[in-house]
Amino acid sequence: MYLLSLRRLMKIVNILLLAAFVFFIQFFLVDLLSLKTIRPDFLVIYIFYISLVFGKTPGVLIGFSLGLLSDLSGVGSLFGLAPLTLSATAYLSGFLHGKYERLLPYVFHSAWIVIIASHFLLISYFRFQTVFVSDPIAFLMRWFMSFSYTMLFFLIVQFFYPIKEASRAEIT
Amino acid sequence: MRNLYLSLLKYKDHLIFLIAITLSLSLLLKNDAPDVLLIRGKFSDYFSFISSPFAWVKSMTQLQEETQYLRDKNIQLTLEMEAMLMAKGENNDLRDLLLFKRESNLRLLAARVVNMGSSWNLSSITLDVGSNQGVKINQPVLVPEGVVGKTVVVGKTSTIVQIIKDGNYRLSVRILPSGNVGILQFITNDYCEVRELQKNSTISVGDKVVTSGFSRIYPENLPVGEVVEIVDDRGSFQTIAKVRIKPYVGALLNVFIVLEEIDEDS
Repeated sequence: MYLLSLRRLMKIVNILLLAAFVFFIQFFLVDLLSLKTIRPDFLVIYIFYISLVFGKTPGVLIGFSLGLLSDLSGVGSLFGLAPLTLSATAYLSGFLHGKYERLLPYVFHSAWIVIIASHFLLISYFRFQTVFVSDPIAFLMRWFMSFSYTMLFFLIVQFFYPIKEASRAEIT
Repeated sequence: MRNLYLSLLKYKDHLIFLIAITLSLSLLLKNDAPDVLLIRGKFSDYFSFISSPFAWVKSMTQLQEETQYLRDKNIQLTLEMEAMLMAKGENNDLRDLLLFKRESNLRLLAARVVNMGSSWNLSSITLDVGSNQGVKINQPVLVPEGVVGKTVVVGKTSTIVQIIKDGNYRLSVRILPSGNVGILQFITNDYCEVRELQKNSTISVGDKVVTSGFSRIYPENLPVGEVVEIVDDRGSFQTIAKVRIKPYVGALLNVFIVLEEIDEDS
């Protein structure tokens, strides 16, 4: 019983340390990696993996906390937007937790791509509402560019830690 | 109660998500609330303090790039400034030429120097006007500072001028205020000498030298230069005056050709 709780504590510490690491990368390195106004979102990658490995509850809790921290560290963005989008992404990604074996691969992969795309669509909608009204094509371009740029990093991470392994990590 | 607890436990995922979404939306709706702004301001201070060492490192890495940019900009601005100074100088010269033309009692034709001359046996310049504009051989060429030379070869659209620096150039001049007359010839750099001056002539350093008017080519009293030295050799029957010509012939851009003298009485 004691060993079990110790293992659980270690797991929580690991998750939190990794969350802090990802947050600091996002905070300090994102400026170097930005292309004009498009920036990669490392937090969504982390939250997605957390939800996929541990399920909805840890994902939503960490997503909300990291989002809050992210909004507090930045001045320009809408306060509360990051917790909202990251929580929603974590919740939706949680549905894919342990589902890789049960779903058809193309359904599984389409689902997580749609979840990430929705995350950026929500952010883009809130941040570029005027562009959405005045020039929908420009709005879609912005959304697609920010989504694609983060997906680039997503694919790099997936190379080291494939999604199918993450999905069944808790089961195995 | 137990059932409620069990159902909460069963649907904790959805419940936590619902709470998170509600909190996020309430924060979004209270974006401009003073409390939220206060909290954001506090955290902004903390985060800017944390990020300050990283910002310093980043600024150091950008320093080299910025220095290079400033060097390039400096060179570019220096060149621009040189061009502007040149333009200012040219503008002043052209103003002087205009003033000279307006005040002169000579019929002058403005010409641009297009070539400094490459003939080995004649110091010359080439002008962009010719017989089409009324230029003839043996017409004086001058600038406001003084005589430059005379036309020697006239084409339809260009003219070659023998300049004062040519070794074979001679000019009959008068030294003012004494009125002594002599023949001017070039020596070196911007200096000429006036020979055939009488031994007893009263010439001083600084006296003005103008054309005498004895020549068929040059009207009288055109400026030439000023006396800078008087050479009085005991064994010689004449005095030699060293004269500095004023026009800087090596850098002429625009000159005037004297077409004819306007008779003010008529």
